[in-house]
Amino acid sequence: MFETCTEIRKFLSEYQDGAIDRDRFSSVRFHLTYCAACRQRMEEYQEVGACLQSLPQRRVSPELALRLRVQLSRRLHRNLVSRFLVFLDNALKPLLLPASGGVLGAVVFFALLMSVPGASLVSVPGAVIAAATPPRILALAPLNFPSGEEELVLVTHVNSAGKVLDYSVISGQSSPALLHRLDRMLYFSQFAPATVDGKPTEGQAVISLRRITVRG
Amino acid sequence: MGGARTVGVTFGRAVPAVGEEAALVAELQAGSEEAFAYLLGVYQHPIFDLVSHIVEGPADAADVLQDVFLKIYRGVGNFHGESSLKTWIYRIAVHEALNHRRGFLRRLRREPVSLDAMHPNPRSGPAAQNCLDTPYAAAEQAERQEIVRNALASLPQPFRTVVVLREIEGLTYEEIAEVLGTATGTVKSRLMRGRELLRRKLCGYRD
Repeated sequence: MFETCTEIRKFLSEYQDGAIDRDRFSSVRFHLTYCAACRQRMEEYQEVGACLQSLPQRRVSPELALRLRVQLSRRLHRNLVSRFLVFLDNALKPLLLPASGGVLGAVVFFALLMSVPGASLVSVPGAVIAAATPPRILALAPLNFPSGEEELVLVTHVNSAGKVLDYSVISGQSSPALLHRLDRMLYFSQFAPATVDGKPTEGQAVISLRRITVRG
Repeated sequence: MGGARTVGVTFGRAVPAVGEEAALVAELQAGSEEAFAYLLGVYQHPIFDLVSHIVEGPADAADVLQDVFLKIYRGVGNFHGESSLKTWIYRIAVHEALNHRRGFLRRLRREPVSLDAMHPNPRSGPAAQNCLDTPYAAAEQAERQEIVRNALASLPQPFRTVVVLREIEGLTYEEIAEVLGTATGTVKSRLMRGRELLRRKLCGYRD
């Protein structure tokens, strides 16, 4: 049990690291309780350890770190295709952000432009952009329409979808039978709506009918 | 880019856990550039520090560091997880540093010293920071560190490597034995001798 200092000191290093077996641990600990010299030796080992652990870590310089990255990258991309892809990646990456920003900006600008009232472009066949056009007759309904000798002049109110909303006879006979046939004829006729800057809108059209006999 | 593709594993910037380590090794073996970049980020500073304690100076340490990572790149295909990745990397680093030291040819190219090296990260937290309260204390600490470095550098090689791996890198006896390819008993005896030599140099004792 009472080992000499020389024997105990062989195990101080392991004792310090806690890597000593249980029996030996007990004997070293017991020895240290009464041997001041060995206790001082143990404290010195601990001081030395603390000194070593307080040494600042030497760090890789940014230049060396970059060189390492480049060296490894070259090793990883040794074939021609792989190198070309890396080159392409390096060349395109800096452009990616500005290009994406540009495209996004253009889309946003276009969307804002389209949302301004009157600025939208609608495809109406034959519409003249940036000009006002009246409603036009595309096709009259194929119905018999005995108007007699007198000319019949109507003012029609055509909506933006090309449908006649109402009309009024401003010249000519307007018997109930005639108006009834006129109703049917206008209902089944096709109109192109009026446009303002290419955008369909409501409008009025003056129609003159004379001796029309249409057979289906 | 290129032929190497990642398999969708994201690693935190720290020494990887066991599960993560297997994924990292798989990525490295697949030739993933991201995995190698991660490996560099985690290990370049500790390996540089370790190698610096074994070879002569920062220029040599820089050369060895490059060789170490090239060897890791070349050898990772043959790594089958018999030891931990850390142990394997440290083994390469120690062997490379010892080989470099044994050689007679020294590269003359000098490595630019990082400003980080002038203001390095203290290893041990608050105690070390408190010493820097005044310029005098800072100078005193720098002087003390220089003495410790010189004492460590003067140790014979086998003892020095073991002391560095244990005291500075914090490896266990078993890990050190794996890194050096020696028995644990040898590690214990070298560590004891190394500590004793350092104690004599730093505490001025002559037994």
